[in-house]
This record gives sequence, C-alpha cells and structure tokens, in this order.
Amino acid sequence: MKLLAKFNRTNILVTIAVFLIGGFCYYLILQYVLLDHLDSDLKVEEQEITDYIHANNRLPNPANYKDQIIEFAPTNEPVVRKIKSIDTLNSKENEYVSIRQLVFSATISGKYYQVSISKTQEETEDLIQLIVPITLGLVVFLLIILFIINHFILNKLWHPFNVTLGVLKQFNLNSNPSIQLKDNNISEFKELNNAVSKMSKRVLSDYEALKSFTENASHEIQTPIAIVSSKLELLMQSESFTETQMQDIQIIHDEIRRLSKLNQSLLLLTKIDNQQFQETEPVDLGIIINKRLYNYEELIASKGITLTQNIKSPFTLLMNEIMAEVLVSNLITNAIKHNTKNGTIHITLNENQLTISNTGSPLTTNPDELFERFKKDKANSESLGLGLAIVKKICEQYNFAVRYDSTNSVHTLTIVFQ
Amino acid sequence: MKILIIENEKTLSDSIVTYLKGQDYICEVAADFNTAQEKTELYDYDCILLDITLPGGSGLAILKQLRANNKMDGVLIISAKDSLDDKVTGLTLGADDYLSKPFHLSELTARIAAIIRRKQFDGSSIVRFNSIIIDTQAKVATVNNKPLELTKKEFELLLYFVSNKRRVISKNAIAQHLWGDEMEGSLDFIYTHIKNLRKKLMETGDADYIKSIYGMGYKFSD
Repeated sequence: MKLLAKFNRTNILVTIAVFLIGGFCYYLILQYVLLDHLDSDLKVEEQEITDYIHANNRLPNPANYKDQIIEFAPTNEPVVRKIKSIDTLNSKENEYVSIRQLVFSATISGKYYQVSISKTQEETEDLIQLIVPITLGLVVFLLIILFIINHFILNKLWHPFNVTLGVLKQFNLNSNPSIQLKDNNISEFKELNNAVSKMSKRVLSDYEALKSFTENASHEIQTPIAIVSSKLELLMQSESFTETQMQDIQIIHDEIRRLSKLNQSLLLLTKIDNQQFQETEPVDLGIIINKRLYNYEELIASKGITLTQNIKSPFTLLMNEIMAEVLVSNLITNAIKHNTKNGTIHITLNENQLTISNTGSPLTTNPDELFERFKKDKANSESLGLGLAIVKKICEQYNFAVRYDSTNSVHTLTIVFQ
Repeated sequence: MKILIIENEKTLSDSIVTYLKGQDYICEVAADFNTAQEKTELYDYDCILLDITLPGGSGLAILKQLRANNKMDGVLIISAKDSLDDKVTGLTLGADDYLSKPFHLSELTARIAAIIRRKQFDGSSIVRFNSIIIDTQAKVATVNNKPLELTKKEFELLLYFVSNKRRVISKNAIAQHLWGDEMEGSLDFIYTHIKNLRKKLMETGDADYIKSIYGMGYKFSD
C-alpha cells in the first residue's frame, strides 16, 4: 500500500467520522436552541393569557393564527402545567406534523379550565433538515479539497524522495560512481540524502576493498604455486630418480595443479557473487555448445560415447559471454567425465530450456546436495566439487531454474530459462 | 631465437630460462619495469614474456610503448591476475597471447613456438623433427614425405611434443593443452590419443619417438 493511500484512507475515515459526530452534535444543539426559542414564545403567550384573565376575569377569545392554536377546555380539577411535543395528523396534507404544546390551568370564578397553546414545529424541522445536506455537502467538498491537496501538493512534497529512490534503484556497484544527490531544503530529505550518499560511498569502498583483496589473494597464492609447479616440471627432466620418487613428484605436481584450480574456482565464485560479470550481450548457446562438442569430439569418440543432440540455433539469450562459456563447458565436461564407457549423452536446447543427460554410475548422494560447494559424489573423488556450485551460481544470476534428476544410471541436468 | 622474460619472481624466471635453454632459445631476464623498458627499447626479441604486475610499473605500459614504437616483437602475457580486464586490455593493446599463472612450462614453450612461427615473415610455418615435417598452416604432417593421417587432436599432440622435444611432459599438461582447463585431471582420456599417434608414427617405419616415463608422463625424443 502506498503511503499516500494509507494516509488518505485514514484521513478520509477520520474526516467522515468527525463530520458525522459533529453533524449529530450540531443537530442536537440546534434542536435544543430552537425548542427553547419556541418554548419561550409559548411562555410569553401563557403570560399574556394569564394577564388577560386576571384583568377581565374571563377567557380571551380563542384566536388561531397561522401557526398557533389556543384552546380552552373546562376541567374538574387543575391540570399540571407541562410542555411537550406531540405528533398530530394534519388533515389537509394527510401527514404527521410535530407540534409543541404548552398546557396549563386557569381559574375563573372557581371554575377550572385547561388552556393549551400549540405551535407547529415545522420550521424547526425544516431548519434541521437543512443541516443534513449542508453537512454532507461539506464532507464531499472537504474530500475533494483533500484529494486535490494530496494529489498535487503531496506529490510535489514527495518529489525529492522519489528522486532519491530513483537514484538508489539505478545504483550499481560496478558501473556507478558514488551517489551524488541535489541539495534539498526539507531537513528530512536532506538527512536522507546525506545518509544515502555516505552509505553509497562506504559500500563502494568496501566493495573495492573486497574485490582487490580477492584478486590480490588469488594473485599472491598463484605466484608461489607457479614457482613450485615450474620447479617440479624441471625436476621431472632429471633422469636420476627412482620410479617411486618420480611417482611422488608427479603426485605433488598434480596436487599443486588441484590447489591452483581450487583457488581459481573459488575466485570465480566470489567474482560471480560480487557481480563482476555484469556486461550482457545476446549469446547463442547453441554455437557455444557446438564449439565445445567440436573440441571434445575425439574425446567423446574415444570413450565410445554416443552423442545425440537437438539444438535450436540461432536463438539468443541475454547473458555475459564468459558466464555462458563457463556454464556450458562445466555441464558438457561433467557429462563426459562422469560418463561410462560406451555410454550416451543427449543434449536438448530450445527457447525454454537446456537439458543435458548422460549415462553414469548411480549417485550415492542426494542430487540437490551436489549443487553445494565441495559436495561431490563418492565415486568422483577426483573432482573439486565446485563445478555444479558454479553452475548454480550462474543460473541464480540470470534467474534460471536448475534441476538435477537422477535415475539409476541416467543423470539429467535441466536449466529452465525464465 | 631470442626471448626476453619480464618477470619479477626470480625463481620463476630461473625455471623458465632453464627449461627454454634446453629448447635452444637464448633468454634474457628483466626483473623490474625500468630494466624491461630499457631492454625492449634497445633490442629486438622474437618473443617477450610479459608479467603485468612489475615493481615500478605495469607490464601493459611496456606493451603499449612497444607497439607505439612500431616494434612487432611477439608478446605473451603471463599473469597471475586472472583478471578478465587485463586479458582483454592486453590482447587489444597488441599482445599475441595470454597465459595465466600457474602454467605448465611445456605449455609456455608451445605457445612461444606458436607466436614465433606466426611472426616469421618468410611465411615459414614448417616445423621439423628428424624426418617429421609439420606444416602448421596447412595442418598436415609428413614422415619421410609420406603423409600422416592424423585427427585434429593427434596433430595438436604431435606439434606439442615437437615443441617440447626431449622434455618430459606431464599427462596433466597434455590434457590441459588438448582440451583446456576443464578436462585437466581426466588423465585416462589422453592414453588413447597417445597410443594412436604412436601407432601412426611407427607405421611410417620411423623410430618410436614417444617414450612413456613411468609415473610422470611422456617424452618425445629420438
């Protein structure tokens, strides 16, 4: 929910409630005042009648005005004086009308009379009936004003915030310099912009530090590895070793290479994590796959592997080319390395997905776990256990779904492009 | 063939020098930026091995200067910075190849040989070893004028062996050379190729050049 919508909702509800309660109170007060006014008119009339009886010792002539009726009726005993509202049926218009009536006793020569003065309340009611539409009109008017204020003024007020938000959305560690925001004279936004600028600078410097650390660490590790590796290669040229010694040298050499590969793979994972492969271009996976397959053609043949493929090309995906190369080569080398003699590889590529399935020895672990770093099936202790982690990381970057299905002897890796 | 090795790690450049000397290359070493700059300005080399991170400056600056002076020495960048930018920048600036550390010395030698072959103006793309003649441009090989029917990987393998003649080459280095980094470690795969190549060479009636060195790899020698 938008802040403005939430604010509006509360605002409108409160406004309506205030007007309803206010209108009701207004109604009560006005009714009270008007009745009071009517009552004092009745009392003036009462006084006039009482004075007339006192002076003349007889009842005045009943006089009916437009909205005032005075009636006299003899009674056996004095009636209690009271003022009340009554509804009577108006014969002319055939509808109920409210009447305010004052009833009191008068005594003339020992005889009791009941005097009643009635005044219609119609005007009072008319007035009160006016209040309702006026109140409702005010509510509607206020709502319209509020809407206009919210729409134009609040949008204008929030504009600096939206600008800042836009800049933040565009912020990219790899291409942008630190965020520079225009000065703002609203102190809240000023504070926000300051915080954002500071944060972006810190993030950038942290990111640079991390990037250079990983690169430097890799560099510093690769150099001694390069020296050891080259010295071992020179040692190999010597002809004075025993067979066991030669074997040992080879093992050291192999392990040094493994260490180096491990370092490179971890560095690659870190780089993907740090989103250092941002540049994208239309990449034709079919071409990359065919290039790889061409390179491994003889390898596949020498293992007696039957290769079938159903590759749709040309069609392109927006990817980083290096990432696409790494992805494809990881998948294809896996399918070759972990295959059995005289096995099969089947590759399908279309706009929706890439599927590579190959024969191989049954898995001893849960296939999903193989996407985790350093998880590998026992049967393949020689691999680093990082290939599928890299595949997964690349898929994550492009929102591809990756799945490993394995039946007894067929392993299928599916990547669904979304 | 004159090679300049611009590399600040002395132990590493020593290894390279020792290995290359065995392949009849004359090597010079520059261990810092200034020496490298001086040597590249004064002399011509068939191939320069260039490390990017040097004390006193960047190797890329040397490359830039070299090409600005219209010197066409072959340049092979050897860097531990497996940074893509450096690789792309290096190749754009006119480097001939890029090899990231750590590398197999046999791979380094093969790359140097390839660069030098490409740089030769007399169009000589012929590599000889005894009676074997390899035409690297036409990608054909003959023994005693009899053509060898080689697959593309066997051809690459033969060229690799000849570039590293009389040297023990590890199986790992061969696997990496033939199929790239990803297939390193899949050592059983190279056996078939070696066996086939050896058979084809022997069928021509020539000597058995490929010797298996127990536990280590192979050696191509007469």
